[in-house]
Amino acid sequence: MKVLLWKELTDLKRDKKTLFTSILLPLLMLPLMGFIGFALAQEQVINVAVVDLDNATVHNSLLNITFSSRWLLGNITYYLAKYGYNYTVSHTTSIIKNPKIDLMVVIPKGFAENATSLTRVAKIEIYRKAGLQTTSRVEGLIFSIVNWFSDQLSKEKIMALARLAGVNATVEALRNPIIYTTTLVSISGTPVNTAFQIRITISRFLVLALSFVVTPAASYVIDGIIGERERKTMELLLSHPVKPSTIINAKVIAATILGLITAVADAFGLLIYISLSALTYGSQAPFLIDPWLLLVHSITAFFTILVTVAISLPFITRTKGIRSASNIMSIVTMMAVVFFFTALFVDYMRLPTYILALLYIIPYVHSILAIQTYVIGYPFQAFLHILFLAITSTVILYLTTKTLNTEKLLMSK
Amino acid sequence: MEGSAVVVEKLHKIYDNKVHAVRGISFRVDKGEIFGLIGPNGAGKSTTLRMIVGLIKPTKGRIRVMGIDVVKNPVEVKKYIGYLPEEADVYERLTGLEHLRFYAMLRGLQGYELDRAVEYGVKLSGLEMQSLERRASEYSKGMKRRLLLASVLMTRPKLAILDEPTSGLDVYASVNVRRMIKEYVRETGASIILSSHNMLEVEYLCNRVAFIARGRIIVEAEPKRIKEMYGAENLEDAFVKAVKEAEER
Repeated sequence: MKVLLWKELTDLKRDKKTLFTSILLPLLMLPLMGFIGFALAQEQVINVAVVDLDNATVHNSLLNITFSSRWLLGNITYYLAKYGYNYTVSHTTSIIKNPKIDLMVVIPKGFAENATSLTRVAKIEIYRKAGLQTTSRVEGLIFSIVNWFSDQLSKEKIMALARLAGVNATVEALRNPIIYTTTLVSISGTPVNTAFQIRITISRFLVLALSFVVTPAASYVIDGIIGERERKTMELLLSHPVKPSTIINAKVIAATILGLITAVADAFGLLIYISLSALTYGSQAPFLIDPWLLLVHSITAFFTILVTVAISLPFITRTKGIRSASNIMSIVTMMAVVFFFTALFVDYMRLPTYILALLYIIPYVHSILAIQTYVIGYPFQAFLHILFLAITSTVILYLTTKTLNTEKLLMSK
Repeated sequence: MEGSAVVVEKLHKIYDNKVHAVRGISFRVDKGEIFGLIGPNGAGKSTTLRMIVGLIKPTKGRIRVMGIDVVKNPVEVKKYIGYLPEEADVYERLTGLEHLRFYAMLRGLQGYELDRAVEYGVKLSGLEMQSLERRASEYSKGMKRRLLLASVLMTRPKLAILDEPTSGLDVYASVNVRRMIKEYVRETGASIILSSHNMLEVEYLCNRVAFIARGRIIVEAEPKRIKEMYGAENLEDAFVKAVKEAEER
């Protein structure tokens, strides 16, 4: 086994193309996607038109409140400029017909009057061009400015009314008499911080990242078995006093090592990608690399690859060419990808027992559960799921290699 | 029988219950003998050789190599056999020396024994050390064949099975390979089963020859005796006559 493994790993080490595509690509591609996304998002030109049809300052003498539409206009244009958006102040709403304008903010006539009133509501009108993703970000900015003004006005009105009524009141008690608070807690009820929540989000992406590692490992083992037959090296190898099962096991181990390295590269690539994406959308960059989570991910990836190879091996060793073997492998890896994708939005451990019992037959469900249960605080359950993967893959591998003979390896159809 | 390196008895091979590739072949190869298995394409030569090596299971019949039953002990019997398949190729990313070490280690050699085997392999191959330190992907077809033959013979197997050892090689490379085989037998006294299309090669190397056609041995004797039997000037003529006679029967 040691000798065969040496040959496989030497061959792998010198196969620069395979190494590049399996390790460097996932490591570079995901951060590159994040970087390109970030860079391009920064370069997008968004044109906003602001139309002040009111252009008035109104004073409510009863409440002793003054409001001017120009204050709102001034704030909107100030923040648009600050966040790098182009803006035009116009006097007519027909500017929206200009294809270059992406979003229009209209302060309608009577706005200041309504804003200071006790019976009416002042309304801002936003016209957003459909299909442009970036306009939703501008809309978010306008929404927060308007909210701030609304909040301030509401506060002043409440205080003025309290003064007039001669009662003691607080703004919060009148405006939001009922509120709720949320405290994030772990599965055992211990309070946790936002980082914990981000860690769970990252874990969902780590499950998805398993999709990227099963394919190169699977291709490598196909090449190792059928490729060796096609390159006319298999027959000489099999003529040596080594069991066919040992030859296959060495190839499986080499493929799994490749998959494991890819998994680690993928995980790091993913973390850099998430960080860059977070930067792009202005949230706090989650540079929250949890080495234990990465370790669990890597172990899970190792056994996920092993189980994939084990499931496909009986077919691979009995097919004639690389193409038919790849087709079989695609079916298995596709099934894996489907389940890993669903883990983005499904909490598998919250599925009803009767569904989960059925799904337990599928090894990939255990890959998902290993990561999901670990991250919410059930390391023992995670261990059990990994153990299931390990036992399943070992049993399938054992049965496959036991039923294997050199004739099948040499002359499969 | 005691002096036999290989004993093949009533050997049959049927692929997928359809193709009857080998039909009741029997022969023996003595220790220190070079035995030639000659036949047209599809005659069943390679299938027979693969069965002797233990790569393919016979449908019927018995094979014993150095007294060991091949079907019952395929791994054990491989310890005594060095086999060069007809279409064997090299690992392109390994150097020539790495090939020699790899195949020697697969036979369980370590330390001094390993070094000695590799040294012998280097000598047998006739390749310069500079070439052996290069990756095999840079080798010519002749160099690859010499390397593979050296890797098969370097551990001094008691039985070497060589399927078309000079197939596709030019004259010079073929001469080199034949020289290697001759030298090997002289030095080790091992037995060789050789399959070839090249009658000159067979005449030059083999002590005994079996003609095989449509899965059956049609004649088995010393090359000289076969030529006499068919009144032929050379083995090639004898082969053509023997195959024609067999087909008419």
